[in-house]
Amino acid sequence: MRSVDGLDIAKNLEKQGVSRRDFLKFCTVMATAMGLPLGMGAKIAEAVTTLKRPPVLWLSAQECTGCTETLLRSSHPTLEKLILELISLDYHETLNAGSGHQAEESRLKSMRENKGKYILVVDGSIPVKDGGIYCKIGGKTALSLLEEMASQAAAVIAIGSCASWGGMPSSSPNPTGATSAQEVLKMKAIKTPVVNIPGCPPNQYNFLSTVLYFLTLKRLPELDENGRPKFAYGRLIHENCERRPHFDAGRFAMEFGDDGHRKGYCLYKLGCKGPETYNNCPAQLFGDVGAGAWPVGTGHPCFGCSEKGVGFTIPLHSPARLKFITPPANFPGIAEERGKGVTVAAVAVVAGVAGAALGAAAVTAKNLGKKDEGQADTETKER
Amino acid sequence: MSKRIVIDPITRIEGHLRIDCEVDGGKVVNAWSSGQMWRGIEVILKGRDPRDAWLFVQRF
Repeated sequence: MRSVDGLDIAKNLEKQGVSRRDFLKFCTVMATAMGLPLGMGAKIAEAVTTLKRPPVLWLSAQECTGCTETLLRSSHPTLEKLILELISLDYHETLNAGSGHQAEESRLKSMRENKGKYILVVDGSIPVKDGGIYCKIGGKTALSLLEEMASQAAAVIAIGSCASWGGMPSSSPNPTGATSAQEVLKMKAIKTPVVNIPGCPPNQYNFLSTVLYFLTLKRLPELDENGRPKFAYGRLIHENCERRPHFDAGRFAMEFGDDGHRKGYCLYKLGCKGPETYNNCPAQLFGDVGAGAWPVGTGHPCFGCSEKGVGFTIPLHSPARLKFITPPANFPGIAEERGKGVTVAAVAVVAGVAGAALGAAAVTAKNLGKKDEGQADTETKER
Repeated sequence: MSKRIVIDPITRIEGHLRIDCEVDGGKVVNAWSSGQMWRGIEVILKGRDPRDAWLFVQRF
C-alpha cells in the first residue's frame, strides 16, 4: 500500500490493532450493504488506501448531536478509528479541538484548499424564518453557512431526518421555519448534488456506505425520488420485519404488556409505522449487538422517524396507513376446533410412528458421537 | 480599559454555545453564555397527544 498524506494507512491501522484481513472484511461488508458485487470490497479497500483522504466538512445546524453520537458510539471494533483514518474531518463543531476563531480558521482553510472537492455533511435542519436567526455559528446564520459551504462542495450528504426533510424541528407549527438542506439548496439555486440519509438517528452504516461508495466509484449511489440511496431505503420496514408473519396471521399485541405483546406479536395496532416507512432497520439493526436490536425487535412500534409526513407528524399510537395490504376485519381463529371420529387405534398408530421417528433421531445422534446440550436439555424437560 | 472577548463556537460540547467575556486589567469582570440555536420544542408540543411528548423532548 502506498503512503499517503505522509502516512501509510495500512501500517497505521495495524498499529491500532486492525489487521489487513479485518480491514478487507470491513470493506466487503460495506460492499454487501450497498448491494454491490463481492469483488467491490477489494476496490473499496484500494480506494481508501491509495487516495488522498477526502476532506469532509461537517455543518451542524438545528440538531441534537444524535447523528454524531450514533456515528461515534458505533461498537464495530474498528469503525470510529476507520472513519477518522479514512476521511480527513477538517471541521466538526462537536469534535474540533480548537474553539472560536480557531475552528473557523480550520473550516475556511479546508474550503480554500479543497474547493469543489470536499464532501459537506449536514446534520440538523436549517431555520429560514426571520432571516435564519434561530441558529448561528461564529456569528453567522446556519442558512448563510450552508449556502457558502454547499456551493463549493463536491457533494452534500444530509445526515438524519432534520437535514433530510426537516425532521422534528419542522413539526407543526414549525416555529423556526426549519427546512431541509435539499430545499435550501433549491431555494438558493445551488446545483451541488444532495444525498439524504434520514433517520432519527439514521443507521451509521447507511451513511458510511454512501461515503465509501462515493470514494470508490466517484459518483453517488442510485437514489430514489426523495434523494435517498436505494440500497438502504428501497423497501418498507413492514416488508422485512421479523414480526410480519404475525401480521399476516392476524396476531396483534393490543396493548403494552398484554399476552400478545409478551409473545412478540405484530405491533401494528399499537401504532407501528413500519407499513409506511422506507428503511432497512430490520436487516441492518443497530449497535452491533445482534438480533432484535431495533425498535420493533425490542417491543416498541416503529414511529416512522425517517419518513417525511409520518415521523413527528402522525401521532405515535395512530394506526399506520397501509401502502399495499389492508387486513380483513375478521381473521380465522388461531386454534382450530378439533374434529371428532378418530379411533383409538388410529391415534396409537400415529403415536407409534412418531415414537419410532424420535428413536431413530436419537440413534443417529448417538452414531454421530455428538449430542448438543440444547437437545439434551429439551429431552430432560420432556421427561 | 476593558476588552470584550467572544468565543463562538465552543466546540467539543453538544449544541451551539457562545461565550462573551469582558476582561479588564487581566481579570474577567463580566461574562455571558448564550445558546445560539432554538427550535421551539415547547411550542411544537402544545396541543399534541401527551404520549408523543417523549419523542420530541428527548431530542434536546
